[in-house]
Amino acid sequence: MDFVELTTDPIDITGVARRVIPPECGATVTLDGYVRKFTKGRETLHLFYEAYEPMALKEMQKLIDQAKGEFEIANIGIVHRLGKLEIGETSVVISVAAPHRKAAFAACEWLIRELKRTVPIWKKEVYADGEEWVEGEAVVPTAG
Amino acid sequence: MRVRVLFFGATAALVERRDIETTIDSSDSPADILKRFTAMYPELGSLRLLIAVNEEYVTEDSELRDGDEVAIFTAVSGG
Repeated sequence: MDFVELTTDPIDITGVARRVIPPECGATVTLDGYVRKFTKGRETLHLFYEAYEPMALKEMQKLIDQAKGEFEIANIGIVHRLGKLEIGETSVVISVAAPHRKAAFAACEWLIRELKRTVPIWKKEVYADGEEWVEGEAVVPTAG
Repeated sequence: MRVRVLFFGATAALVERRDIETTIDSSDSPADILKRFTAMYPELGSLRLLIAVNEEYVTEDSELRDGDEVAIFTAVSGG
């Protein structure tokens, strides 16, 4: 089963990984993305994530559809956390189940790269001496 | 015609609103809406902005219809 979710609750990483498994598969690759303490030498106290929720869910589903067209994989689960996150807390989990691991690794890498480019979610870094919304990479998603 | 303009993250912080209903001309494009808000909030002009209409990315010159939801936001930074 494929799924996309946004949640303000802590993400159960193992739960996400188990939900994507079909019997014909032999490997699941799971990315656990979490909050880093230092970014470009500056210390983060915590992060805050916000999404354009209905569009974010649609864009996540589009990534799943594209990935399934490009890679020999079975199921994908993507869960992104929103709201306030402390250092070390998981912000995003992507699990890809495939008959063989190679395609699962490749698809998982592709999915996180595209998610960071196209899914309308933003993070605010809160530092000891201020806060700022992080602007993503310059690449503009293609319309349509 | 009326459209609903949504802001998120950095753009919401600048405009100090998340949601504005506004009247536009039927020939107006997202670029015209951007111009109007940039005139009111010049700092918007220094951001790399993306536009979505009804939850789909569009280019600045795309057509708008009455009742559209136009979202204005910076390059995304999830993950």
